[in-house]
Amino acid sequence: MSAPRRLASRLLHEVVRHSSSDSRDWANAMLGELDFIESDWAALLWALGSTSAILKHSVPRGLRACFGKRSNQEEGPMLKHIRRTAAGTLSGVMIAVVVLVGAFGLVRLLFVLYPEPDLKRVQWAELLAVIVVPETIFIVSALALWRKRRSMAVGIVMSAVTLVAHVVVHLTTH
Amino acid sequence: MKLRLSPQTLQVLDAFLQAPKDWIYGYDISRNTGLKSGTLYPILMRLAERKLLETSWETAEVGKPPRHLYRLTPEGMRFAQEHHLRHAIGRLARVAFSGVNR
Repeated sequence: MSAPRRLASRLLHEVVRHSSSDSRDWANAMLGELDFIESDWAALLWALGSTSAILKHSVPRGLRACFGKRSNQEEGPMLKHIRRTAAGTLSGVMIAVVVLVGAFGLVRLLFVLYPEPDLKRVQWAELLAVIVVPETIFIVSALALWRKRRSMAVGIVMSAVTLVAHVVVHLTTH
Repeated sequence: MKLRLSPQTLQVLDAFLQAPKDWIYGYDISRNTGLKSGTLYPILMRLAERKLLETSWETAEVGKPPRHLYRLTPEGMRFAQEHHLRHAIGRLARVAFSGVNR
C-alpha cells in the first residue's frame, strides 16, 4: 500500500473512531468507498474531503449541544475531546494572564515602595520583571505540562508567543 | 420543507434521476457529478435527514468493507422531479427572453 493511501486509510479510521454516534455511519460509508478509488492521491483527497464533511456535520451539532439545545442527546467522543481541549487551552491562557498581571503588579508595587531615580535601570528592571521572568515561567511550565496536560501547555505557549510578538511590535514602533 | 438548493444539490438530484430506482454508491455519484467528497456527503446527509434519500448497506464480499448505497425516496423523487422541471423551465425562459431581447 502506498504512503498516500495508507495516510488516507489511517485518517478515515481515526475519523470513524472519533466521530459522534450520528456521524459514524457516514464516516464508515466514506471509509468503505476508499478501496474503490483507483488513484492513491485521489484516495487521499477523498479522505481529506470526507474529514471536512464529518466536521461540517459534527461541529454545528456539537455547538448546539454545548449551548444546551440538545443537552439530552448523546455526545460523541470527538465533541468531548474538542470541549476538553478548548477548556485546557483557555485555562492555560488564563494562568499565563494571571502570572503576567501578577508580575506587572509586583513591579508597580516595588516602584512605589522603592522609588528609583535612575530611569535606565528602571526600564531594565521592568523589562526583566514583566517579560523575562514571565516568559521563563511560561516555558518551564509548558515543558512540565506538555506530557500530561498538553492543551493547557499549548495555551501557555500561545500566551508566551503573543507576549513576545507584542514586545517586538512595541519595540519596533517605539 | 426547507432545503438549500445549490447548483451542487441539483447536480446530485439529477444524478439520482438518471436511474431513479437504482441504488448508487457515493463514489459513483462523485464521479458522475464531479463533486468532491467534502461537498457531496454534506448534501447526501441533508437529503437523508429530510427523508428525501434512503440509505442501505451493501452486503460485503469477503475481505472487502461494506459499501453505503443511496436511493431517492418516493418523496425525494417527487421533490427532485419538481425542481428539475422548475429549473428546466427557468433555463428555457432565460434562453427565450435572451432571444427576444437580442
